[in-house]
Amino acid sequence: MFSSLGDLPVTAFQLASVPITAQPLVGPTGLLAALTNSVFVAMIVMAIIYFLVRAGTKSPTLIPGPVQNGVEFVFEFLYNQVEQVVGPKVAPRAFPLLCTIFVYILVANWFGLLPGVGTIGIGHEGTQMGFLGLSAEPKIPLLRPATADMNLTLAIAMCSMVVWFYITMVETGPVEFVKHIFAPKGGLTGVMKLVLIPIFLFVGVIEVVSIIFRPVTLSLRLFGNVFAGENLLHAMTTLGDTFGLGPTLSFISKIGFTLPFYFLEILVGVLQATVFALLCAVYIQLSTAHEEEDH
Amino acid sequence: MGKILSDLGIYWTNFIAQILIFLIVYAILKKFAFGPIQEILEERRKRIEDTEADREKVKAQLADTEAAAAAKIDEANETAARLIAEAKESASALGDKERAKASQEAQDIVAKAREATKLEREQQLAGLKKDFGKLVISATGKVTGKVLNSEDQDKINKETATQLAN
Repeated sequence: MFSSLGDLPVTAFQLASVPITAQPLVGPTGLLAALTNSVFVAMIVMAIIYFLVRAGTKSPTLIPGPVQNGVEFVFEFLYNQVEQVVGPKVAPRAFPLLCTIFVYILVANWFGLLPGVGTIGIGHEGTQMGFLGLSAEPKIPLLRPATADMNLTLAIAMCSMVVWFYITMVETGPVEFVKHIFAPKGGLTGVMKLVLIPIFLFVGVIEVVSIIFRPVTLSLRLFGNVFAGENLLHAMTTLGDTFGLGPTLSFISKIGFTLPFYFLEILVGVLQATVFALLCAVYIQLSTAHEEEDH
Repeated sequence: MGKILSDLGIYWTNFIAQILIFLIVYAILKKFAFGPIQEILEERRKRIEDTEADREKVKAQLADTEAAAAAKIDEANETAARLIAEAKESASALGDKERAKASQEAQDIVAKAREATKLEREQQLAGLKKDFGKLVISATGKVTGKVLNSEDQDKINKETATQLAN
């Protein structure tokens, strides 16, 4: 037997994994290369959101039907949450961005959990080809969870930072914004203020760096969680095959091992959407809150 | 930096495509969700406010009506009490009047009866005197055997009447 983990053959624990990058569906170069499997899913998510919203608001009535009621409930709930964080004055301006972020990420995360996403695609490791050239163990998955692509998470983060900057400038103005970052806080006066000015300047520089890195942290957090979840589900699905279980046990393991993690990923999907939107709301609140409200 | 981006699969074309999709989602939500839902919520809120205002108005009107009804009932009670008192007073006065009238009538009847009795008595007495006078005259004529003239008869009648009166 093996005396240590180092003696184990590497292939014995080679779990199935998902490539870190999205793959182009049409061609590797040119503009069409932008049509990756995650962009394709993002477009499907966009269509789903469109149909859901249209179904809910096509003919709005004062006494709403079930779909309109659901859409209104989500809308009102999110608005109240945003209002609680950023305040009633900024909420009307910040809500459209934050609501879009939450809804888009949530639908994208949950869509990524549907059977077939990441498992059905084009090409095959061997020579077998499935129906219409599609394969169940593909080289290039046709559908990749949209939020498991850094391009999408970074795009949302960059958009949110642009809107954050716009709201901050409109609400406080550039002078107040610079003062908010660099000026001494806490109503200091006299010698104490002069002594602490260099410290606050230094803290301001750190603050600027943290602001610059916000898009990176936001996008990496979301990407990391969803990408890890996708890998986890793939690993659990193929665990039976990896350990060389028979066809029956392998089939049972595909369901038994994967199911608990599906529920976990449903939760992670909501959590990550909430965290992303909440952090954006907090960033807006921090930069638009006035000095007298802080103390 | 380029290697990091490449390792993470970040490419300008993909990045811009994702930004465009995100902006389209934003536009979809803005056009079909934020606007219409905000409108319908605002309309519903206004309707609830109006209903609440109407409810308050109706409540105030109800209170006014109840107060007016209570005032009317009090007024009716007072009027009823006054009418009852007046009726009692009137009934009492009418009773006294009727009693007095009845008493007067009774007294009149008694007086008339007395007068009638007296007249009857006087008539009877006059008749009696007359008859007695006739009897005395007759008796005197028979006793004396003399035919009494008118003067004698008057004289005898007067004496008889005087003695009867005594």
